Amino acid sequence: MAAVTAAQPRASKTESYVDNKRKEDIRQANINAARSVADAVRTSLGPKGMDKMISTANGEVIITNDGATILNKMEVLQPAAKMLVELSKSQDAAAGDGTTTVVVIAGAILKQCLSLLSHGIHPTVISDSLHKASTKAVDVLTAMAVPLELSDRESLIKSASTSLNSKVVSQYSTLLAPLAVDSVLSVVDPEKPDMVDLRDIKIVKKLGGTVDDTQLVKGLVFDKKASHAAGGPTRMENAKIAVIQFQISPPKTDIEQSIVVSDYTQMDRILKEERNYILGMIKKIKATGCNVLLIQKSILRDAVTDLSLHYLAKAKIMVIKDVERDDIEFITKTLNCLPIANIEHFRAEKLGYADLVEEVSLGDAKIVKVTGIKDMGRTTTVLVRGSNQLVIDEAERSLHDALCVVRCLVSKRFLIAGGGAPEIELSRQLGAWSKVLHGMEGYCVRSFAEALEVIPYTLAENAGLNPIAIVTELRNRHAQGEINAGINVRKGQITNILEENVVQPLLVSTSAITLATECVRMILKIDDIVNVR
Amino acid sequence: MAIEKILKDDASEEKGERARMASFVGAIAITDLVKTTLGPKGMDKILQSTGRGHGVTVTNDGATILKSLHIDNPAAKVLIDISKVQDDEVGDGTTSVVVLAGELLREAEKLVAAKIHPMTIISGYRMAAECARNALSQRVVDNKENAEKFKSDLMKIARTTLSSKILSQDKEHFAQLAVDAVMRLKGSTNLEAIQIIKKPGGSLMDSFLDEGFILDKKIGLGQPKRIENAKILVANTAMDTDKVKIYGARVRVDSMSKVAEIEGAEKEKMREKVQKIIAHGINCFVNRQLIYNFPEELFADAGVLAIEHADFDGIERLALVTGGEIASTFDNPESVKIGHCKLIEEIMIGEDKSIHFSGVEMGQACTIVLRGASHHVLDEAERSLHDALCVLSQTVNDTRVLLGGGWPEMVMAKEVDELARKTPGKKSHAIEAFSRALVAIPTIIADNAGLDSADLVAQLRAAHHKEGCNAGIDVISGSVGDMAELGISESFKVKQAVLLSATEAAEMILRVDEIITCAPRQREDRM
Repeated sequence: MAAVTAAQPRASKTESYVDNKRKEDIRQANINAARSVADAVRTSLGPKGMDKMISTANGEVIITNDGATILNKMEVLQPAAKMLVELSKSQDAAAGDGTTTVVVIAGAILKQCLSLLSHGIHPTVISDSLHKASTKAVDVLTAMAVPLELSDRESLIKSASTSLNSKVVSQYSTLLAPLAVDSVLSVVDPEKPDMVDLRDIKIVKKLGGTVDDTQLVKGLVFDKKASHAAGGPTRMENAKIAVIQFQISPPKTDIEQSIVVSDYTQMDRILKEERNYILGMIKKIKATGCNVLLIQKSILRDAVTDLSLHYLAKAKIMVIKDVERDDIEFITKTLNCLPIANIEHFRAEKLGYADLVEEVSLGDAKIVKVTGIKDMGRTTTVLVRGSNQLVIDEAERSLHDALCVVRCLVSKRFLIAGGGAPEIELSRQLGAWSKVLHGMEGYCVRSFAEALEVIPYTLAENAGLNPIAIVTELRNRHAQGEINAGINVRKGQITNILEENVVQPLLVSTSAITLATECVRMILKIDDIVNVR
Repeated sequence: MAIEKILKDDASEEKGERARMASFVGAIAITDLVKTTLGPKGMDKILQSTGRGHGVTVTNDGATILKSLHIDNPAAKVLIDISKVQDDEVGDGTTSVVVLAGELLREAEKLVAAKIHPMTIISGYRMAAECARNALSQRVVDNKENAEKFKSDLMKIARTTLSSKILSQDKEHFAQLAVDAVMRLKGSTNLEAIQIIKKPGGSLMDSFLDEGFILDKKIGLGQPKRIENAKILVANTAMDTDKVKIYGARVRVDSMSKVAEIEGAEKEKMREKVQKIIAHGINCFVNRQLIYNFPEELFADAGVLAIEHADFDGIERLALVTGGEIASTFDNPESVKIGHCKLIEEIMIGEDKSIHFSGVEMGQACTIVLRGASHHVLDEAERSLHDALCVLSQTVNDTRVLLGGGWPEMVMAKEVDELARKTPGKKSHAIEAFSRALVAIPTIIADNAGLDSADLVAQLRAAHHKEGCNAGIDVISGSVGDMAELGISESFKVKQAVLLSATEAAEMILRVDEIITCAPRQREDRM
């Protein structure tokens, strides 16, 4: 309806002047909304960036430095602002790191677009020029990048620690960075060397201890206790492990059933039958030599009963119950065994073998570790510890970012300097390039180049340095050919950033630039917001 | 008042001049809303849902915008309907048709104000439309005989269609994709065989066409991940348990061992069912419903690849492309048609695993995998690609091709103008008005590109005064250019549909002289 009532006075079609006031207003409103989102996360950029505390509607508190998480939890309503949130999510999916950077760049480009628009340049011209500039920018970045071998563990660790340095857990980066590198490298399949499936790395969070206690486990970790109900074993050497998807409990049919008891002798008989039934199953299990059982959770009926646990304990079989169905694939892959869905199929060849399965106490809580697995699949488990839930969650997010960084390096083996160096170099080269372009294009590309300076500017600002002095000095150094000069936040001065070991994967930078440009172009092309059903 | 009330309380009536006014205003408002999306430099709209979740869609597609509007004006609804019909029939030109109808009404309004009877206008419009259609059909190019040239025509059309969409930057890539996909169809317009999968991540350039079929599912545990010369049975059957579906059915037993027996019998039934399925001589089984752990293991033991929980759309397509049919009973293996394909394997798209069926029975089938930065981009890319595919598949059947960039409108306008000069009587005013409405389309394209439309259209008109001219608006350089050289083409079928349905819609709205709004149905108070 709004559209109909908004009918404007009809101007004759042959007039060259078209009243575009409303459209300009909408574009302005969109850009402003998007920029305010960008401003909100700006202060969390860089190693000296600050964290945000988010208290969600249900009273939960999150402290984080991760752009994607902050934006995700901010409930924005304005459509253009929502697009920036999406942008950060895309960066998270594409590269996993640089989620703040991408939003800050988009905000800066939008700011430049605003002034371009006010000069009367047509949005599609700006949009096309931005696309050209971003393609060129990717070329420049690729030219700057340093190739990397996967055997070069040092460089991988360096880039992982660059990513970790801006997080809450930065003081643990010496521990977490090698951990991230090792876990990614251990799941790389030699047949498909470019692919890393992060689902093959399982992160188990356990409260207690400090982040220092975080460790990589070559094997499996269950965030559960072994079943103690009947005093069963909690440690098993030379384990033969079965993953079962059936239940060790009295039978239950799919059709509704009722047992009719007509006299008391029958009661005894039923109890005895139940015992025999379970005993029969356990004997079959024992016969295969299995001594550790992982039992899938069942919603239809009890996976195990006290009675069956008792018999299992007597048979010296260790039991871990309530394994989620979603985890079965990961477990079977790791143990190199097959899940067993029926007692009839319980055969020795379906078992997995491990040197040791044991229950370990961690403070109050207990976990079960499976180590020394024979023919282990390409999976890894990381056990994250922390003194409180907030730290653990943030540590997990940071670790995820670091894993993504390493994954980026595996799929695209190039490194690039950090610390604002690539951005300032881009800005310089694009600025020079803009001078050879003709017309509006040159003007727009120059604005794009200027917008990129926001990264070093913000880095310096967040570190409490004088941003103008730093950025001008940086420009100066780059003009003299030091393409790797960047801001060393710790020393508060400009140094060759490659020597300082501040490096990041090329993929993070290129995807930040292309995604930010794509998002800005989309926002520019919008001239109306229509309310629909 | 002496006049008795005829209508119910809440019903209202608008007559004559007022009714016509209401239709004009409604139709023109709709036109003004979508006209900025026209042409290669058209803008996008945000559609913000007022429903739950406040979902946001960014689009340039006229039909999508109009479809989702809240509209209360009857004339506006007519325009939305023609846009929908255009979408169903030819797939593209959904904005053009609404804009043309709107412009026709805008002109008609002036004529009505000059005391020309609506019926006279209608008959004038009819003559003009007929004349315009003839003018177009005389100027078409038909390259049906020459396969090489025809393919380049298709490429041009695809590029022209895509250039006004989000895919414009990578139009070369997508035009190739769309043409390849449509050429595989070999003349059928069954777009079902082209599957579009959207996967966030990567950039639009990473999108690709793949022969065969991709199912976004995982292969069951412990089953082969790669099968050559697969025989596929597609089914929709319960693989948890066959329950007795009589209400209140229950088993009465008197001992635990009997319960165990029944459970065993149920398991046995399941095993038999699996045996029957395997007895079809298959090595791949796709089920729409869940496959539980037990049958999954049985399949794994038999070395059969079982895929559970495929969506409805997925299995229907799979049955279509592999040439099988969806089975639900397994007693007569000989009567069930089994699908075939050369190779089934697990592939990675972005971060997710999918199952790829290649070398399928129905050679036409193919899959386009779209990659893009976000869901907004992907959704819009899908809409754009769908438009291009529709137009191309229509063009394959009706191979007549026109130039684009405002060229057809100018050709039509010129002929219609000449007709007006020859026609005696008041009708000639209407015919003249028709030509003005046609010229409005290049005007809007130029306006949207921020060009001086008055100047450009005048130049264009002058250029078209010569016979056999190919002039149209070159939006990129902002001047009049040769459309044949620039390779901007459109499908004749689309243009014709735009012309005819816009004229019809305008005619229908013009005929209205009274709007009766019925009283809303009374809601009974149920409290």
